[in-house]
Amino acid sequence: MNFNAPLIQKLAPSMRRALIVTLVATVSAVALFSFAILPTRTRLKSLTLEIGVLKDTLASMHQDIAATDQQKAKTAALAAERDAFLESGVIEPLLGSFAMRGKTLLDPLAQETGFNIETVKELPLIQLQVPTPAPLQLYGRQPVEFTGRGSYTQITAFISYAERSLPLATLSSLLILGQPQNPEIHKAIITFEWPAKGEKRKLP
Amino acid sequence: MSKPLHIDLLKDEERLSASPIRLRIMMPIFSLLTALGIAVWWSVLVARAHTLALQKAEIEHRLADLKPAHNALLALRAEEQDLSATLKQLTFYKNARVVFGETFTKLAEHVPDKVQFTEMRIPPPPPLPPQDPKKPLLGPTNPVERVTLRLAGRTNGPEPVNALFNTLRTPDFTNLIRSAEIPKGAFRQDSARNPSNRETLLFELTCECAPRRFE
Repeated sequence: MNFNAPLIQKLAPSMRRALIVTLVATVSAVALFSFAILPTRTRLKSLTLEIGVLKDTLASMHQDIAATDQQKAKTAALAAERDAFLESGVIEPLLGSFAMRGKTLLDPLAQETGFNIETVKELPLIQLQVPTPAPLQLYGRQPVEFTGRGSYTQITAFISYAERSLPLATLSSLLILGQPQNPEIHKAIITFEWPAKGEKRKLP
Repeated sequence: MSKPLHIDLLKDEERLSASPIRLRIMMPIFSLLTALGIAVWWSVLVARAHTLALQKAEIEHRLADLKPAHNALLALRAEEQDLSATLKQLTFYKNARVVFGETFTKLAEHVPDKVQFTEMRIPPPPPLPPQDPKKPLLGPTNPVERVTLRLAGRTNGPEPVNALFNTLRTPDFTNLIRSAEIPKGAFRQDSARNPSNRETLLFELTCECAPRRFE
């Protein structure tokens, strides 16, 4: 700034004092506005916004918590539905073997229908289609192959009986071969599959 | 003629304005009042900010108190979502169930006398396509699985097989067997079993069954 010193000196001391006081007060006012008022206003704005968000969160949390009992009932109902589904025919290995489990399930039915099971073999698990979002516990299709002999009537009766008695057992593949030496008795390789536990995913 | 002599004994700085509002008084007062006003404004803002900070802290405290109960609720919701997904996947399986037993039982009643089956085959599910090792999929993406039934046997001519073919297109079977076909070259002489017997023919019938829909 270029002060005109002689001009200031020409002013009366009282006027000079007034000017200096005015200048100091104005500079202070501007400084206070710039370095105190504006940042405080910014802080106030952000605090107001934060409080708004927090209040909304609090309200939604209160609302959520108020519905806890309802949620508990909903979750319990679904758990019961899932358990009922699992009990209706989702198989688990018997002594570590699905073949053993399959044999246990189908042997009584085979005996009743006259189909003679000779061997039972566990086949590799087939992946099952996965919904979105995917569950943590995935399920697959567990095929178990039953090789045996019987007449056509016995074989089809065995298949029908298994399908009726085990609501989740599905005929996965079949091969009935006629035997020229014994036309009444056929060799049958019947594969039934059941849903079974597969991979357990980790939480993402 | 006399000339008036004007003697000004006042210095410039000693001159006073005739106005009752004097600049040298008003200017500092106004600026001081402005500064004071801004200071008061600031103090009001600071007090308000303090109040808001206290309010924020209080809400945060209340949120922290509610957190365990809310976390429990979120866990319940996540469990519900997981149960729902599990049920959905199991339902995919259930919906894709195809029942064969009854149809096979009925088939025995409809097989013409001149037809003798030698083979009945439902091939196993096709293997899944190879997966990208970088991005392995959790399960197959195609919800539909084709199911076919192949019937092979002996007969003494095409008529009994055509009769069987027509039977497979009756309502007793169409709920399972959607279409049947006698492939080209399906009839051939059973020379392997008895070369002299030219009357016995081997035949083949392929049927497209209701697909398994995992959806």
